[in-house]
Amino acid sequence: MLKIRIIPVLTFNGLALVKTKQFANPRMVGNPVQAARVYNSRGVDELIFVDIFASRQQRKLNLPFVKQVLKECMIPLGVGGGIRDLDDVSAVMKAGADKVVLKTIAMEQPGFISAVARKYGEQAITIAVDAKRQEDGSYAVFHHSLPPKPIETFIREVEAAGAGELFVNSVDHDGMMGGFDIELYQQVSELSNLPLIACGGAGEPAHFATLFEGVRIEAAASASIYHFTQYTPDDIKRELYHRGFPVRLLSTVKKYD
Amino acid sequence: MTTILDYGMGNLASVSWALDKLGMPNRISFEDGDLESADYLILPGVGSFREAMQNLRERGLYEAIRREVLEKGKPLLGICLGMQLLASYGEEDGGSAGLDLIPGEVLRFQEKGLRIPHTGWNELTGFEESWIGETGECDRNYYFIHTFHFVAREEADVAAWVDYGGPVVASVHKGNVYGTQFHPEKSQATGLKLLETFFKRCA
Repeated sequence: MLKIRIIPVLTFNGLALVKTKQFANPRMVGNPVQAARVYNSRGVDELIFVDIFASRQQRKLNLPFVKQVLKECMIPLGVGGGIRDLDDVSAVMKAGADKVVLKTIAMEQPGFISAVARKYGEQAITIAVDAKRQEDGSYAVFHHSLPPKPIETFIREVEAAGAGELFVNSVDHDGMMGGFDIELYQQVSELSNLPLIACGGAGEPAHFATLFEGVRIEAAASASIYHFTQYTPDDIKRELYHRGFPVRLLSTVKKYD
Repeated sequence: MTTILDYGMGNLASVSWALDKLGMPNRISFEDGDLESADYLILPGVGSFREAMQNLRERGLYEAIRREVLEKGKPLLGICLGMQLLASYGEEDGGSAGLDLIPGEVLRFQEKGLRIPHTGWNELTGFEESWIGETGECDRNYYFIHTFHFVAREEADVAAWVDYGGPVVASVHKGNVYGTQFHPEKSQATGLKLLETFFKRCA
């Protein structure tokens, strides 16, 4: 049976690991390679790296460090940040990553998704859906410079274009550590049959249980909980295990080492 | 020496780094000489079946692989799309013939309500008597990420199953030809152990 994925997200500003609150006020929280090493030693399911300023600063991803992480860690990895053309995608895949995480280009040119899918397959494409609640209670995709788009429209567009996964971030809950935006994921879960990753708001293992109990979803990502509390990904999985969810436990993997 | 087959598609670096961890000398190539002098062949792959077959043919690898495997009995491990290419036929993009080393078809997942692609860690079943069982006791979750799956014509060629909307072929094995739908090079310690088993077995 497919296991729930618990995925740490590493957001960086091109140089250092940072963490935001509601997509603003980034604080430096460490070294991305070191963080990846620690996660890998804890047997994490997968990692996501995003250079959150690459697009607006119009620069490319720092790939040597991606390569350094993957040389050491045999782990599934999604990489995003300023990816705009097939050469960018090729560079990321050659560095050993499994998926590219696209946002700006997906909003500007959904046709690019199809071009990537033709060359690398749909499974190589994760679309970042940064959702912000609007005044009327609906959700729209938020971008620092592009106009908002209703999430239903955006999700249908990217799925039709060949996306392989949706990485759905709650802008409002990001960094707040008060729990996931359950209503957002209930909506998205109904809109698409693509694999979904919920992200934004986790502060303790119980928040994950609330998510999986309330939504048809199989993956959750987070960052603040690992930077600012003592909880590890395995603590979260053990909570889920005790609540009857299928997870891959570190203790089982390590038992045979 | 292991030759990791380069046909312009696939995560070659990760496979090479995994082999480095095992101390298995390896190179990435498509040259005939490098296939001939190799003791083991690995066929990785990510992307379109049709384009992959086209690339293999263009680089002369279609004949070279079949020659090394069928005439010289060289061990071959296909990973992900690489396992799918071992089939007789793949329906993607209008359909194309595969390497035809293990009879079967590669079809798209169809089950309603199933999230597609099949993405994440999933547990193998029915592997106990197969080459996969030779790793000895270990966790049996491996990382899968695929939109199409291999439907084997002979059950005897299936080495392991996984459950995703019903039983799905997770590994194939016929003589000196092996395949894993999942990525051992992305499955941490569990995956590394399996790669080690492949080499031990085929030494």
